[in-house]
Amino acid sequence: MKRDCRPNRAVWMWRSAIIGTTALCGLALAGGVSADQPVRAAVLDRSDQRVVATAPVPPEPRIQIAKHKYDRPTLTIPVGTTVTWVNKDEDVHTVVSTTLIFRSPGLETDEGYSYRFTKPGVYQYFCTLHPLMTGKVIVK
Amino acid sequence: MNDDMTADRDSQSPQVPGGDGVDRRGFLQCMAWAGTGLVWAAGGGVFSSRILSQASASERGASDFSFVQISDTHIGFKGEANKDALGTFEQALARITALDPAPAFIIHTGDITHAQKAGAFDIVAEGLKGTKIDRAIYVPGENDVFADGGKEYLGRFGGPSGRGWQSFDYKGVHFIGLINVLNFKAGGLGNLGADQLDWLKKDVEGLGSSTPIVVFAHVPLWAVYPKWGWVTDDGGQALSFLRRFGSVTVLNGHIHQIMQKVEGNISFHTALSTAFPQPAPGVGAGPGPVKVPAEELRGVLGVRAVNYVQGKSRLAIVDSTLA
Repeated sequence: MKRDCRPNRAVWMWRSAIIGTTALCGLALAGGVSADQPVRAAVLDRSDQRVVATAPVPPEPRIQIAKHKYDRPTLTIPVGTTVTWVNKDEDVHTVVSTTLIFRSPGLETDEGYSYRFTKPGVYQYFCTLHPLMTGKVIVK
Repeated sequence: MNDDMTADRDSQSPQVPGGDGVDRRGFLQCMAWAGTGLVWAAGGGVFSSRILSQASASERGASDFSFVQISDTHIGFKGEANKDALGTFEQALARITALDPAPAFIIHTGDITHAQKAGAFDIVAEGLKGTKIDRAIYVPGENDVFADGGKEYLGRFGGPSGRGWQSFDYKGVHFIGLINVLNFKAGGLGNLGADQLDWLKKDVEGLGSSTPIVVFAHVPLWAVYPKWGWVTDDGGQALSFLRRFGSVTVLNGHIHQIMQKVEGNISFHTALSTAFPQPAPGVGAGPGPVKVPAEELRGVLGVRAVNYVQGKSRLAIVDSTLA
């Protein structure tokens, strides 16, 4: 339903670059553990190493705007997360908080807008050109 | 496109019982109408362009006149659906300039600009002046007001009151321009608001019921397809002030395609864009610019001439594509 396959629709150019998030894999531990250190410390070090290696910094969430919809109309994130909205429509859209805490300019095709959520709460937003388009970000 | 709107349908004007565009019953009827593409009626006075062109200037009465509706010029649009929206706008201007007899004025039913692009208002205003038609009247679309709450638009076109809604009389016809794209609320629809409705009620209060009325606004005042926002939330209230009049013509833009409906004495018409087409209501996942093969684009863009002939109950609507 979300994907419209009619042949006469514009084929969107996915020009926007995918921002990869590089995992920081324990470079701080590159010095290793010397043989004369207590065993306990070495275990702790290995433990730290494992945690760092398997929990890379999560990619910042992205919400695509397509066919007059935010593709993740409800998004739950931890405090301090930056959310990016990217418009894939040829219509102009906006991302505007109902309390005006954040307010994007008009987003053209492939243009994006980011906002960092620094306080817990529920943030409702909508498109000021097409007010039936609504979404919310839940910050915990 | 307009060949099927021939005068032989004059006698066929099915009415929509109870359909005021906002109640549930009317809503469902409009949905059915939009979904099936069924044309309920092409009312009296809707002629094909061939028939109209045969009525030359010499046959016109002194009180007869025509005007032009242009809509959704979206100057600044550069999407795949039309890489040259400025070029197709200029083609539309050439069509308007070539009209004979010359129209009395031009009505622009909004989305003048695409996202309030810098300089776009100037391009359109200068373009319309270039047709040598003395007067252009505007109402805004959402693209013209969203970025600054209408500040620039109202500064240019808002009139002495700065509110933007307006009425004027021309050769016995009362024209009303309404704004239904300001103060959008999350989850809401196009709306006129209490102040504008109060003004409208007072504006028509003193008019005789035989006065022909033309109402123009960007978003359709009737329920074309509420699911896509193709409706004005309080449009039914506005229409309730107009039902006593014998001839009401409602001209809208926004949906970039021609649709017509007749409800009693009120006829509704949406217009083509000069920039790009949009899907038929409910076709596909949502509204928005549709890319058609390049050779077909001009066949889905256009302008509209509206002809008033004194004594005729309905105005003749003539849509012409740029093909």
